[in-house]
Formats: sequence, C-alpha cells, structure tokens
Amino acid sequence: MASVKIKVDGREIAVEKGTNLIEAAKNAGVAVPHFCYHPGLPVVGVCRICLCELEGRPKLVAGCATQVEEGMHVITRSAKVADARRAVMEFLLIHHPLDCPMCDKGGECTLQDYTMLMGPARSRFKFEKITWPEEDVGGKLVLNKNRCILCMRCVNLCKEVAGLDEIAVLSRGEQTYIGTVDGRKIENELAGNIADICPVGALTSKDFRFRARPWELTNVSSVCPHCSKGCNITVGYHPRRNEILRITARTNMDVNQWWICDRGRGGFHFLHDPKRLLAPARAANGTSRPVPWKQAILDIAQALRDIIVRHGARAVGVVGSGTLTNEECYLTRAVFKDGLGVSNVDFPPRPQPEVAYKKFTIEGDKDPNARGAALCGVAPGASGLGVRDMMRAAAEGTIKALVFLRGGPLDLFGDPAIVERALQKVDLLLVVDFVPSPVSDRAHWVLPGVTFAEKEGTFTNSNGRVQRIRKVLTIRGDTREDWRILQDLGQALGVLPVTDPDPERIFLRLAQAVPAFSGLSYSTVGELGAPIAAATADVAVG
Amino acid sequence: MLTATFEPVLTKTMQYPESHTLEVYRKHGGYEALAMALQKQPDEIIDMVKRSGLRGRGGAGFPTGTKWGFVPKSTDKPKYMCVNADESEPGAFKDRLICQKDPHQLLEGTLIGSYAIGANRAYIYIRGEFAHEARLLERAIEEARTAGFIGRNILGSSWSCEVTMYVGAGAYICGEETGLIESLEGKRGWPRLKPPFPAVVGLFGCPTVVNNVETLACVPHIVKLGWEWFSSIGPERNSGPKLYGLSGHVNRPGVFELPMGISLRELIDEHGGGVPGGRPVKGVIPGGASCPVLRGDEIDLPMDFDSLTRAGSLFGTGTPIVMDDTTCMVRAAWITARFFAHESCGQCTPCREGCGWMQRLLWKIETGEGEERDLDTLLSITDQIEGNTICALGDAAAWPTRGFAKKFREEFLQHITERRCPLGGGSLH
Ligand SMILES: Cc1cc2nc3c(=O)[nH]c(=O)nc-3n(C[C@H](O)[C@H](O)[C@H](O)COP(=O)(O)O)c2cc1C
Ligand code: SF4
Ligand code: SF4
Ligand code: FES
Repeated sequence: MASVKIKVDGREIAVEKGTNLIEAAKNAGVAVPHFCYHPGLPVVGVCRICLCELEGRPKLVAGCATQVEEGMHVITRSAKVADARRAVMEFLLIHHPLDCPMCDKGGECTLQDYTMLMGPARSRFKFEKITWPEEDVGGKLVLNKNRCILCMRCVNLCKEVAGLDEIAVLSRGEQTYIGTVDGRKIENELAGNIADICPVGALTSKDFRFRARPWELTNVSSVCPHCSKGCNITVGYHPRRNEILRITARTNMDVNQWWICDRGRGGFHFLHDPKRLLAPARAANGTSRPVPWKQAILDIAQALRDIIVRHGARAVGVVGSGTLTNEECYLTRAVFKDGLGVSNVDFPPRPQPEVAYKKFTIEGDKDPNARGAALCGVAPGASGLGVRDMMRAAAEGTIKALVFLRGGPLDLFGDPAIVERALQKVDLLLVVDFVPSPVSDRAHWVLPGVTFAEKEGTFTNSNGRVQRIRKVLTIRGDTREDWRILQDLGQALGVLPVTDPDPERIFLRLAQAVPAFSGLSYSTVGELGAPIAAATADVAVG
Repeated sequence: MLTATFEPVLTKTMQYPESHTLEVYRKHGGYEALAMALQKQPDEIIDMVKRSGLRGRGGAGFPTGTKWGFVPKSTDKPKYMCVNADESEPGAFKDRLICQKDPHQLLEGTLIGSYAIGANRAYIYIRGEFAHEARLLERAIEEARTAGFIGRNILGSSWSCEVTMYVGAGAYICGEETGLIESLEGKRGWPRLKPPFPAVVGLFGCPTVVNNVETLACVPHIVKLGWEWFSSIGPERNSGPKLYGLSGHVNRPGVFELPMGISLRELIDEHGGGVPGGRPVKGVIPGGASCPVLRGDEIDLPMDFDSLTRAGSLFGTGTPIVMDDTTCMVRAAWITARFFAHESCGQCTPCREGCGWMQRLLWKIETGEGEERDLDTLLSITDQIEGNTICALGDAAAWPTRGFAKKFREEFLQHITERRCPLGGGSLH
C-alpha cells in the first residue's frame, strides 16, 4: 500500500494511506486518547476525546475518524486540544457516579486513567445526577448504566462481530442509554468480549466481578484449550490464592484478532474442580489405594512389559489425546510406537457443531491440538488399529492392555457397550487424566496429569499454527505434568535413552524428528506463534 | 424601499382557492418549468442555479448549484434527491406553508433538481407532526403521477423519476441532512461523521442531495424567469425571494414573501404590523431558535446570510421571533436550551452532556438560585461544545445560549443579585 508523509507534533513519519490519526500518532510514539475507537470495530466518532488539531484548519477533527493525507501536520499537544480533551472529560463525568472504590473496572478503567492524566480534579456540575438501576443483561454481564459513556463498543461488537442486534442504544439526549432489545437477554457466545472492551465499569463480567482487583492478578499469555481455533488468551491468576480468576482475549491478528468466545473465557473453572485426581492410584477388587509415583511407574512398566513379552506389542492399545501438547504427543509416539513397537496408537476426535458468527467462528473440533497430535504421529502405525477398532479388539480379547492418556465418557471411544466390555476385559487399564471419568473409574491404574494451565507446551491449531501454553498455577497435590509422566514411563520401560528437564528441550527434539516442526523453537514460536513448515501443511490436514 | 417593486413568486398562487391542486397550479403556469428544464442538459440547469446565487433555505445557506455540482457524474450508483421537509426549528413554519398551499411547486422543483443531478428517485422526508401536509403532498404526488410528471419517461423524455414521501417520527435531529438519511434508511436518526458528504456517500451509500423545501420551490422560477431575474433580487451573494416566517410579539405573525436583504425592522414594523401595544422590541431571534439573539437596538440590518453573520448572529431559516420588553431573556434562553437538550440525539459527548447542563444552569439562574460563577460556567460550556461535535446541533445549542448570556448579561446578573426573576418569568413560555 502507498504511504504518505505526515508530521505528528513536528515529528515527520511515513504511514500507510488510509491510517487514521490515532494509529498514525501511535506510529510516531504519540498517544491520542480514545474511548469509542477500537481497531476491531467500526469508527463511530462519538466520544470526542480524540480531537486533534490539523495545521491550517480552524476546527479540531476526530482522530479516529480522520485519515492521514500527504503533508498533514497533526498537532496533539496544543492548548486547544488540551482544552477540548478536558472539556470532554468534564462532560463525561457530570453524571458519572465516581464510585471507583466499588467499581470492578477500577485499576483498568480508561475513564479513570484519563481522569488521572488530564481530567479536571473537581466538577463544576452541582446538580442531581441521572441514575439508573443495575441490570442483568444476559451474556454473563451486568450493566451499570450510571458508568456508561455511550461509546457504542458493546453495540457494535454484537452487531459487527457476532452479527446480532442484541444490544442497542435507546432514547435520546442525556437520557440515552444502552439496553437489550425488548429487555431480552444477550445470548451470543461472544458477549464476554464486551467486558474486555467496555472502557469503563458499565458492562462487567459476572464471573469475575468482585473476585479481585486487576492489579492483584498476574497475567500470563496462553492459548485456549477448548477448540482447534487456538485463540490467544491472557490468563489472570491470583498468585497468593493459586487460583485462576479470569481469562481474557489476547490480540493475535492471525488467529482470533481481538476476541475469544465465552466457552474459552469461562472454561477454566474445571481447573479448580474439587474432584480432581491428585495422586497415583491402583484399583483392585473395587477399592482404590494411592501408590507413590516411583512405585506406580515401575509397577505399570512391569505389567506392560509382561503383556508384551507374552502377547506381543499388538496386544497393547494406546489412546492418545488431542488435548495434550505437541511435546506430549511426540513423547506418546516416541515411547509407545518407536520404543515399544506398538502400532495401535490413535486418539478420538471430539467434534461438535461449529458456530459461525459474522466475523468469528467457534470451531467444531474441540481438541486444541488435534492437528499437532496427528503431525506428531499419534496415529495408527503399519496395520495398527484406530480407537474404535482397539475397543473391539480389546472386547474380543486380542488387545490385553489399554493405555488412555485422557479419559472421558465411554461413547467417546466407540459403541459404549463394546467400550464397557473392552475396559472390563483387559488385563491392564491405565488412565492418565486430571479428573475422574467413566474410563478412569474402571482403570487398574490412574496417574494424575495436569491441565493446560499447569504446564508448559505447545498446541498446533487447525490452521497449522504452533503456539505456546504457559504454566500458570503451581502443581496441585501429587500430580505431575503429562510430559513428565510419559518420560518417566519411557525410562522405566527402558525405551527413552535420554529425558529432558523441560518441554522447551523436548520441543527441540520434536522439531528434529517431525518435519512439520523443523526449524521451530520456543523462541521462534514466541508470544504469537508460528506456522508449521508450509511444505508439510497439506499432508497434515488429511 | 426594496419591497416596492417586488412581486411575490413563491406564494403567488397561494391566494387562489384550492391552490394545492394540480388544476390550479397548472392554470398559473405550473410544470411549464419542468418541460423547459427537460429541453436542457442537466449541466445547464446546474449552471443556471449556480448563477442565480440561490443559497440553501434550510439554515446553512450553502449555494445550491455548487452542492448539485458535487454529485459525481461518472458513477454506476443510483443518485438520490432528498427533500428536507422536517422543519422543526422553533420559529420556522415557512416550508409547512409550501407543503400546505402549493405542494406542486415543491414537486416541480424536486423533479427539476432530480433531473439536474441525474437522480431517478426523490424522497420527501416530512415531519411526523405535519399529518395534514403529508396527506396533501401524497395527493399531489398522485396527481402529478397521473398527469405524467412523475414516473416513466416524463413528458416524453428519456428521463424517469419516482417521488416517494416518508413521514418522520418527530425528531428535530432528523432534519440534519445525514440524520435524515439515516432515518430514511430505517435507522436511528443519528447524524453521520463527515466527510464523506452526502453528495458522494449519501442515502444507501449513493450520491445524494438534500435540499430544503423552500430551496427547491425557488428552482422552477429560476428556470422559468431566468437566473438573471433571481440574482437581481436582494443583495449580492444573497439573492432571491425569501419566505420570512415572523412570530412572537408582533401584531400580524405569519409568512411573508419578500426579497432577501429586507430590513429586519421593516419586516417587523411594516409587514408584521409592529409590536402589540406599541411596546418596544427587546430582542429578536432572527432566524430560528439556533440563531443568537439580537438586541432591540440592533435590528436595523438587512435580513440576509452575510449581514447577520457580520452582526454576530445567523440568518438561519430567515424566521424571526420577536420579543417585547415583558420577555424574560433568561427564561427565553432556558426554553431554547431545553429544546436543544431534548432534541440532542445523544450520540456525541459535548452535545449530549453539555445541553442538559446548560439547561439546568439557566433554570437555576431563572429561578433565582444562580450565582455569578454559574454564568461563567454557562459561557464556558458553550465554548466546550462549539465545534467539537459531530453535527451542528451542538453549535445550534451553544450559540443562542451564549447570545442570550452575552447580549443580556445585565439581566442575567439581575436574576442572580435579586435572587428572583425580575420579570416574573416573562410571557414566552
Ligand atoms: C440539528 C439540525 C436540524 C436541521 N433541521 C432542518 C430542517 O428541519 N429542514 C431543513 O431544510 N434543514 C434542516 N437542517 C439543515 C440540513 O442539515 C441541511 O443543511 C439542509 O437541509 C440543506 O438544504 P439546503 O441546502 O437546501 O438548505 C438542520 C440542520 C441541523 C444541524
Ligand atoms: S473459539 Fe475456540 S479457541 Fe477460541 S476461545 Fe472459543 S473455544 Fe477457545
Ligand atoms: S451534536 Fe448533538 S445532535 Fe449532533 S450528533 Fe452530536 S449529540 Fe447528536
Ligand atoms: S475515539 Fe474518536 S471520537 Fe471516540
């Protein structure tokens, strides 16, 4: 695209044609305040805080709604601009309750920040303020219209991203307010983004509000584990409580832009599930007893070895998981396929209907790393069986040992009656998981793995983008990262000559072994991910 | 003086009974201008209108021919003509008269304008409260369609044009041209950010001209009598006949057709019959509520765009509201502010918040609760609104408030020091 030369407060820069003054100034290192402008939403130009001066023009212009032109001189530091900004701040606050101490947005509120930066310290407005009752508008949001500055972001998020007119602006003049259409509740699954982009404390998340102040949270970049889209997220956790309190969208223009869906946003409560598996356990005769890790690993390795010695590697079936990381999928293959010669290796897909909004699709494949699992070789080897066939073979008695790297409902793995028979019949049923399931309930051995927020690793999304998840929480109870469990098993089985102390080094090994990942490392993957090698991309889809 | 040789054209046929019918309109030469226009190239019409010096009668006084010239010639998109019949500014009631008494004059002007800009469809956006006028217009459209002035191949030419009337829901802001366009599209009447201007991106994203009723009513006469005739009336750059809507404290309120540039005092004293009881004129809002008030000693000036701008006020729609010495200027300011606060669309911060604040301050002063610093606050609010909003309603609210507070500062201060309204509230409620 063609670029134009402009000046911002005297500093000359070249910017792309079509850029607005806010973005152009940003390029020049100058921050132009803005409430209503959001790069992912249509320009509405209503808040007027972004007013800038253009040399030679008598009237101020809205920075968000004005595009650069060759030779333009944008002035953001004149007295005129400062007056206009102060005026807008004063106006925005006349009916505002100034209840920061009890407002959930406090600490990350644009209105609060700008007031500290440039607002009048006291108000000249001495009249009764207009007030409104608080309202549950659905979408897990609470609306406090007293704090609303009518920036229109919520309206346009629903309209332009979800494609639904579920929230609208009503009435007029100073009585103008945001409301749902005919008082109905917001139902679209993108509504949670509103809490992210509302610049004030008008629309806040029911799930998060009053749980902590934003400055108490430590924010960690990660990737959503709830579908194959691989949305980039920021995990906000409370270090002292060792608890995740919220997940918000993290901008990645190649993946999710500025948004995430409400499943991803709310999908972290399972982490703190009181029923979590917290210690290795051996079940026999209807009772289950904890076993120390070392013992458990040795016993399981021994049992597996015995079966292979007696019946061959064909008597073993390994059910991997598209929810495990690339590193773990690589280890699954290294231990079982390459190490033990097991060819019955596969993982079950977890499809659900895709939900396609106007500008955002929640993908139907519920595994965050199905693509990576397939690329890393969690797939049947020569004449190996797929998941359903493994269940059949186990039910018939030809498979004697089943290893599930994640459990689940019986029907995830085949006809439930057959799966039931398979699980009852095998001599060894090992399940690695972090919550109990019908499969782990029937297991001889249960090893407690961890969730996406308790380990490092990478996922490969449906588009072939490799992205990092990060360890946010400290490990609970006697659980162990899945990559560690797989390495421990590999060692005990004598099939992994070397182990690595962290996933970063496992990844390097993986990048050497799997062509799709060739040349990648944690540093090249970085904060925003990197695509797998193009030449292998097509192969991998099939 | 100026008026001696002036012959009304816009209101000429209105004196006849049934003037709103096609029959009466045609008897007095109606639709002859349309036939003449269709013999010319569209550009020739635009040129004529440019030379005539016609400036928009909707308030801003923008040269009509120039506006028409902005419509791109080479575009695949349809073009639209929108007639602004939303007339909602307090004090303005001249367009209503045209719709009521001479709707065909408006239709003829609309058709000529549409032809000039290459539009095949015109919309008449009429104020919701004008139910009677809307019925008359609807009937006039039917008559004109039956007679072949609207529809396919008008008067045997290759040009076709449909005219559709749309009744608004009662919001002043829908008279702002882009608010009108949004409303016509079935949305909230929220003015758009400009640029782009309607001439390039207007109704349904297509090139559009929005013109006031009176503006378009002038067009047939320019075509028929020539641009020279039009431009010879009134002062330079402010030409043509004008409908002045006179109201307030005058003996004969009403609409008067007189040349542009007539003296405001002459308009009040001679045509309006002076102030009842011979009371002195205290103030005049010269062109509708958005125009800053003039003091009684400032009304010896010509009523035209440039003269009123020079005098620190505005010509607006040319519809003066006269206030005699019984009028409380604080209350008049409050009533004006209340109107704009009520009509603010609520979209942009300075207008939405500032208008309501001004209204509260004015009421505080009017009721004797005001302090001197309220007056300073009031004036600073007008500065904080002016020029910082999306549309001109913000300005339209700031200007009169500032006008009243500056021109009648003494009276404001008197309210503050006496802690009451010295005029007992005045008579302009
Ligand atoms: C708040 C506001 C209200 C307006 N109301 C009207 C109106 O009722 N009628 C009108 O003709 N113009 C009105 N205007 C002016 C229009 O925006 C526009 O300038 C006019 O219709 C153009 O027509 P003209 O060039 O023929 O005057 C209004 C402007 C503003 C800012
Ligand atoms: S779309 Fe998928 S990856 Fe994105 S937030 Fe929703 S569930 Fe998570
Ligand atoms: S100036 Fe007033 S009426 Fe115009 S867009 Fe802004 S809020 Fe609406
Ligand atoms: S950011 Fe430009 S008007 Fe709101």
